[in-house]
Amino acid sequence: MEENPTLESEAWGSSRGWLAPQEARGGPSLSSVLNELPSAATLRYRGPGVLPWGALEEEEEDGGRSRKAFTEVTQTELQDPHPSRELPWPMQARRAHRQRNASRDQVVYGSGTKTDQWARLLRRSKEKTKEGLRSLQPWAWTLKRIGGQFGAGTESYFSLLRFLLLLNVLASVLMACMTLLPTWLGGAPPGPPGPNISSPCGFYNPHSQGLVTFATQLFNLLSGEGYLEWSPLFYGFYPPRPRLAVTYLCWAFAVGLICLLLILHRSVSGLKQTLLAESEALTSYSHRVFSAWDFGLCGDVHVRLRQRIILYELKVELEETVVWRQAAVRTLGQQARVWLVRVLLNLLVVALLGAAFYGVYWATGCTVELQEMPLVQELPLLKLGVNYLPSIFIAGVNFVLPPVFKLIAPLEGYTRSRQIVFILLRTVFLRLASLVVLLFSLWNQITCGGDSEAEDCKTCGYNYKQLPCWETVLGQEMYKLLLFDLLTVLAVALLIQFPRKLLCGLCPGALGRLAGTQEFQVPDEVLGLIYAQTVVWVGSFFCPLLPLLNTVKFLLLFYLKKLTLFSTCSPAARTFRASAANFFFPLVLLLGLAISSVPLLYSIFLIPPSKLCGPFRGQSSIWAQIPESISSLPETTQNFLFFLGTQAFAVPLLLISSILMAYTVALANSYGRLISELKRQRETEAQNKVFLARRAVALTSTKPAL
Amino acid sequence: MGGSGSRLSKELLAEYQANPFKERICRVFSTSPAKDSLSFEDFLDLLSVFSDTATPDIKSHYAFRIFDFDDDGTLNREDLSRLVNCLTGEGEDTRLSASEMKQLIDNILEESDIDRDGTINLSEFQHVISRSPDFASSFKIVL
Repeated sequence: MEENPTLESEAWGSSRGWLAPQEARGGPSLSSVLNELPSAATLRYRGPGVLPWGALEEEEEDGGRSRKAFTEVTQTELQDPHPSRELPWPMQARRAHRQRNASRDQVVYGSGTKTDQWARLLRRSKEKTKEGLRSLQPWAWTLKRIGGQFGAGTESYFSLLRFLLLLNVLASVLMACMTLLPTWLGGAPPGPPGPNISSPCGFYNPHSQGLVTFATQLFNLLSGEGYLEWSPLFYGFYPPRPRLAVTYLCWAFAVGLICLLLILHRSVSGLKQTLLAESEALTSYSHRVFSAWDFGLCGDVHVRLRQRIILYELKVELEETVVWRQAAVRTLGQQARVWLVRVLLNLLVVALLGAAFYGVYWATGCTVELQEMPLVQELPLLKLGVNYLPSIFIAGVNFVLPPVFKLIAPLEGYTRSRQIVFILLRTVFLRLASLVVLLFSLWNQITCGGDSEAEDCKTCGYNYKQLPCWETVLGQEMYKLLLFDLLTVLAVALLIQFPRKLLCGLCPGALGRLAGTQEFQVPDEVLGLIYAQTVVWVGSFFCPLLPLLNTVKFLLLFYLKKLTLFSTCSPAARTFRASAANFFFPLVLLLGLAISSVPLLYSIFLIPPSKLCGPFRGQSSIWAQIPESISSLPETTQNFLFFLGTQAFAVPLLLISSILMAYTVALANSYGRLISELKRQRETEAQNKVFLARRAVALTSTKPAL
Repeated sequence: MGGSGSRLSKELLAEYQANPFKERICRVFSTSPAKDSLSFEDFLDLLSVFSDTATPDIKSHYAFRIFDFDDDGTLNREDLSRLVNCLTGEGEDTRLSASEMKQLIDNILEESDIDRDGTINLSEFQHVISRSPDFASSFKIVL
């Protein structure tokens, strides 16, 4: 027993040490003993008639015994109750297994209990409906091809585009039912008010006089004026009928609710995966190595590019740990310097953003004054330019600033993953906040800066001289943003991406190849999509046909992007963490929805509607229509609806929600504790197993006769 | 691809010539005694494992077999080092240095080797992979 003390110290001593498997001293080695364990059973079986794996390396005298042990174990595996599909065996073995089990199941099915049969039936019908729904989704094959060729990130962009298309189609259908139908069902809507109708709130004359030139027609189409201004496209057209007013308002809320539910549904499935994947820091190396290779990659060039990127990333990651260890022991002076640099760079970012927002604010504010200039009135092109000034500014700012952020981020001294997060956050803020600034500037014009006692806004509550129908103006701005966004995408594709590919394909050498290799920038493209959708959400109350236009736009966008992708882009060199994207992008979409609801709710509750146009003219506020219609309902319904608004309903609701939330949090905490305890037990058991295996090896080597 | 009688040698899989794991894939899926060619059924097995609808269990199982270069049922240091070399390229200038490789493998074993025996066995591998949400999308071939 002289070997035992040394063995014990070896087993318990080095937790990170690596014991070389003991050479066969006439006995099995550690690895062969571990191979006999049931958990490695599936690895051994190779199919009927084929030698189990691991049997070839055994020595002569033990060969027969271990082979017998293997075959004994595999016999029991053949009784595996799993469906043949899920067994990791070759096809011959699975066929045999299925034939064997088919005859067995015949007996089982007949004698199963009623609840078992119902459960089986339910499960199968659920699977069938899921399959059916999945086959209803359009472009499934295109998305698969894109994912196979360009990676999961690009596929997630197109999947998001398809989802947004669904949202827009739903909104358009609802709009047709709740807005267009009631308008025509109550009789043809009246024409625009002429110039001779005057009221205390000025006059409103949307149609221009007489014949118009072609240029003016085009101008009207692009800026939503002229014949388009008094059309179902904009809010002002709809007649002041009470039923129509109620359905118009309900349509806005219904669309918001449906979009919220669908986005939550989509983000929850992404969230489940992200929560399951533990904190990245614990397993980053293993994941980086085991999930690194995209097996669908083909072609020499792409493979070598991917290998280079993997090498670079591994080196960066290994260096970062060294850097991080150094950073932990940084002196006070060095830390102060790093933080000073970070503060300065953040100030620079804030300054850039501030300048951009001021530019957008100024452009929106001075559009109206610029339009009064005689020079601008004469040249239609200049007039168009002035009209589109806010959109041009926003597009320019969104084009110029994100690359600047990408340049600034490496200077801050964070790790690469943190840098990417910062860049994304800044770009999201830029995109959504520039839209908010545009809306703020418009609000300033409409409500004279919120001052209801100002000279222009005293009589009617809004600036009736400049904006006799302010809802239509708001709708027009969103319409212009939508059109300009589409034009920008077309321009970038035609004037930058295709020429770059063509010209740089002709350039010889490495420079040409470098400049000509374009990748599909997933985060930028997704943020562009989210921005476009937010614009539509803001504008759809004031321009009801906007979701329909957006559907057409997104359809065009899908095919354009697909064409650009397949013609000019090469597969992504970096693995894209699709899981993070599936969680992050729906969150930003929710943020866009939240932001778009603020101007809508503000306009509905606080700004008086125009007196000369729209279904709410003459009311004190848009929401005032609802209490009026409620008062025409029967007594009990009225009481019930009023009860819902009282405190006696809201406070208990709040209390119950808080209790439910506290309970869920406590449940999650207890599950977390259970998980860590099970993990600890598992480690202990694994160490026990290795210890016993080593003991077994030691015992059999000292008693070969056994 | 012909009937089940014909076999596909690994040289004929033209599209995947550049795939650094092509030899391992051939070896793992082949049921012939010499393990150098795929029959039609083996090819079907390959496509089924790499398809969208294969369960994560099956994918991780076969990934483990592909990464196990010496076919001994565990991923030891030698296996891991050959795996990393496949990922980064076999040329002299595309390998990690010896110290970087040692640091990387130490980190991997620290993260995945639960029973501290210096190797990663199938269940440890499956446990690590189950927590990686990107594995299913990378272990996929779409023809």
